[in-house]
Amino acid sequence: MTLNDLKLRARALLRPNRVERELDEELAFHVEREARKLIDQGMTPAEARRRAQARFGPTALAADRCRDERGTAAVENTIRDVHFALRTFAKAPLAAFTIVATVAVGLGVVAVVFTVLNTLVFRVDAVPDVGEMYSVERTEVATTAPSPLTRPIFDALRRDTHVFSDAYATVPNIDLHVDGRTMAVTLVTGNFFQVVRVHPVMGRALTPTDDAPRSGNAVIVLSEKGWDRHFNRDPHVLGRTVLVDGAPFEIVGVTPAGFRGLEVGGPDAWAPLSQLGRFRPADRGREDSVGVEIVGRLTPGVSKGNARAQLAAWDSNRSAATRDRRAATVDLLPRRGTIPQPLEAIAMFAPLFVAFGLILMIGCANVANLLLARGVARQREIGIRLSLGASRARIVRQLMTESVLLALAAAAGGYLISRLALHSAVSWGLRTMPVDLGDVNLSVPAADWRVAAFLVAAAIAATGFFALIPALHATAIDPLRTLRGELVKNARPGRARNALIGVQVFASALLLVCAAIFLRSAVSAARYDPGFRTADTVMIDIDNEAKRAAMIQAVAGDATVAAYAAVRPQLLAPLRMAYAGAGAGKTPVVFKAVSGSYFDVLGVPIVRGRAFMPWERDHDPVAIVSESVARALWPSGSGVGETLRLEPDSALKHPGGLLTVNPDAPPDEGLAEARTVTVVGVARDVPGFRITDVKEAGVFLPTRVDAAKTSIVARVQGDPTLARQALVDRLTRIDPNMGSIITLRTVARLETFFLQIAFSVSLILGGLALLLTVSGLFSVLSYLVEQRTREIGVRMALGASAHAVTRLMLAQTARPVLVGLAAGSGLAAALAMAVLATPAGALISQIVHVTDPVAYLSSLAVIVSACLLAAWIPAARAARVDPMRTLRQE
Amino acid sequence: MARTPDLLPGTLDLLILRTLQTDALHGWAVSERIQQISQDVLQINQGSLYPALHRLEHQGWIEAEWKVSELGRRAKYYHLTASGRRQLAVEAQEWERMANAIGRVMKLA
Repeated sequence: MTLNDLKLRARALLRPNRVERELDEELAFHVEREARKLIDQGMTPAEARRRAQARFGPTALAADRCRDERGTAAVENTIRDVHFALRTFAKAPLAAFTIVATVAVGLGVVAVVFTVLNTLVFRVDAVPDVGEMYSVERTEVATTAPSPLTRPIFDALRRDTHVFSDAYATVPNIDLHVDGRTMAVTLVTGNFFQVVRVHPVMGRALTPTDDAPRSGNAVIVLSEKGWDRHFNRDPHVLGRTVLVDGAPFEIVGVTPAGFRGLEVGGPDAWAPLSQLGRFRPADRGREDSVGVEIVGRLTPGVSKGNARAQLAAWDSNRSAATRDRRAATVDLLPRRGTIPQPLEAIAMFAPLFVAFGLILMIGCANVANLLLARGVARQREIGIRLSLGASRARIVRQLMTESVLLALAAAAGGYLISRLALHSAVSWGLRTMPVDLGDVNLSVPAADWRVAAFLVAAAIAATGFFALIPALHATAIDPLRTLRGELVKNARPGRARNALIGVQVFASALLLVCAAIFLRSAVSAARYDPGFRTADTVMIDIDNEAKRAAMIQAVAGDATVAAYAAVRPQLLAPLRMAYAGAGAGKTPVVFKAVSGSYFDVLGVPIVRGRAFMPWERDHDPVAIVSESVARALWPSGSGVGETLRLEPDSALKHPGGLLTVNPDAPPDEGLAEARTVTVVGVARDVPGFRITDVKEAGVFLPTRVDAAKTSIVARVQGDPTLARQALVDRLTRIDPNMGSIITLRTVARLETFFLQIAFSVSLILGGLALLLTVSGLFSVLSYLVEQRTREIGVRMALGASAHAVTRLMLAQTARPVLVGLAAGSGLAAALAMAVLATPAGALISQIVHVTDPVAYLSSLAVIVSACLLAAWIPAARAARVDPMRTLRQE
Repeated sequence: MARTPDLLPGTLDLLILRTLQTDALHGWAVSERIQQISQDVLQINQGSLYPALHRLEHQGWIEAEWKVSELGRRAKYYHLTASGRRQLAVEAQEWERMANAIGRVMKLA
């Protein structure tokens, strides 16, 4: 393409009228000049003009071929197609609106999933050259967990290796209670802001001086989020202080919006790592053995593989020198502020995309059906254009242009719908999420250019699905016959239509079966009884042993607390296991240490013997067992008074619940060596929660509230939520960094909560699917009845009863509906089997009844009746056809 | 009217370029000149003349200019550009080679 060519093309595009006028003038001149020649030869002017024109041929054809030479034909045709499409829409605005709305709903729900995925996987942090950032991981070689990377290792790594141009160490997301709210603080080494190369918008960044051991500064730097959430964007926030463990920390800076410290969510503030003891008093004095994350900027020119090899060699040398036997390999993971394993996330999101994509698919199937119907209606128009010489490709292109226009309008609508859906979902989540689960940090994920690009791409892909087949169908006609007003048999796309109905019913069935399963499971979860008091029980963690006495005094003195007891480990922690032996028998049991009033607080009855006495404490040789343990060890006896031997075994591990708090926490010394104890009581077996690891069955050893590492369970009076808030207020005054306080009611509700979320989502999707399917079915059948009025009239004139006609029309839809139902519920059942086959299958199936026959049958019944209803109205209309009238129409 | 033999593909461009070598001409004059010089052997299909002119213009080998014609009304006159002149030389040489080759085959085969 030459410059000249570009100039001419641009001229043709920008000044189309002038170019057209000149073309006409040029061609007209030729004819006139030819005529003049003939006149000069003696012909009459009229005859000369006629001959000249005849010799030249059709001017329009020559003009058209000249236009083709311009190379702007494609653009011009598209513009013409767009004009034509807009006129078509204006003529049938309802059809256009239906198509746009249907596709917009589908695109909207898919965009919701994509927006979330985008936030987790594709939205890299606003850090210069973020591609250079890698975090160092020690991965497990054998079964033993690798020893953590610590600050001394970090210092050595920075000193000894040159893999990173610089690196920082961090302890992320420590919760801090500030004025009754939780603030997430990430501790970083002083060089953090230099490594990430981010400059604060206000005040200053942290410096290595702030982080000097023992002489550092008590300062924090707020993130934009923290500034917004906790200080309402106060412009005078610099210099204000935040109390951390009683010590004031000065706010010295605020970072720019969009910087998340290379985390997905990002903290509210950053503080020097040397202040760890203030933020986590439990780690005070052992700062050098606390695990840290090491993140660094690769030295330019060093490849990732090379860097990893260097680090691995350095680490194994160092481990050998320090005789660290827990050898591990070192790995480098890209650190971009997204989740570290994008592929896993995408795999996790795939089922969601499928579920939400089904809605889009159903919507598209509806539109395709509508377009197929319109294609038949437009056969005459298309026939005329074909016989005027338009190529089939040209008409398909024109039909596709219409569809792409509709799809782009739908993409815009889908964007609005996705924003609306996300905003309402987040505000619903914030309102219903139990507060005691900690500070819920939900925010509406932002839409960026990727979401926009995704929507446009999805819209165009959807067009391919819903518009191409109808367009091909509509143009596969014989122009001569359509001009005569005959509908070509071939253009009645019965098979395509049935397939589309089948697909729709299939998707609705799949989604509604899921909804029904979740609903039934949620109802049974709401009725589930864990066997101990949940309504008025509160769990209180005590993290800071120095404050234990004051905390317990506060709990004991609180007017709302009716009774309290100690338990170790805390209720939601992973269960400890040991072997319990009596005589020859030996059985693995769960064990925990509890104080005397524990069984009373939780309302678990002691069926035989007695509870612990207040004076019984750790290492006293007594125990209480639950009924199942007693039965296993002493099948004939009562158990009370028997001798029991507890043997620790590190290989014994409880599998844990679906939601276990901190499952990787190292077990405490609980049962360092084997102990022989006397059973003083037998407690009732209670099932406990299914979703978390709270099981009150096994062996109980004595402890007291003043014993280290115990947590408190308390029974409160009045509204447990209010009582909890009062306790939080009172206890944070003693220890601002205290652990969590959770009501057991919240834990009990969690199960229902998640099932309800799953139910709502699948019900909304399933409902949408059914609605679209039913409306699609209705319109297709109505259309079919209209098309076949003549045939029905003939049938009735020949003696068919109204009943037979109705049956005929219903039979039309029966097959695709039944096939769709079978496929949908079959796939649901297959998915259920697949879930059961996974390792967590047994746990999941306790809570989600994936094979609940009632759920399957009821959702199928709903679909069948909805489809029958949708089909009945047009079928009944068919039966009312007056044979005389239709025959007279001939 | 006697049907004119089809031109060999590509030769129309060559003929147009050659015709415009000396003077600027409008479309009708181009076809007239070709017809005259070939003694009515070559009659240009008018429907292809103008597309060809426009194509050559897009390729930058000829340029157009509106001038007052012998009829007293304005017409679009085409003239060769420098690159058109080079193109003509290349195509003329190619034609020569081709014609010679065909001539030899016709004589000897």
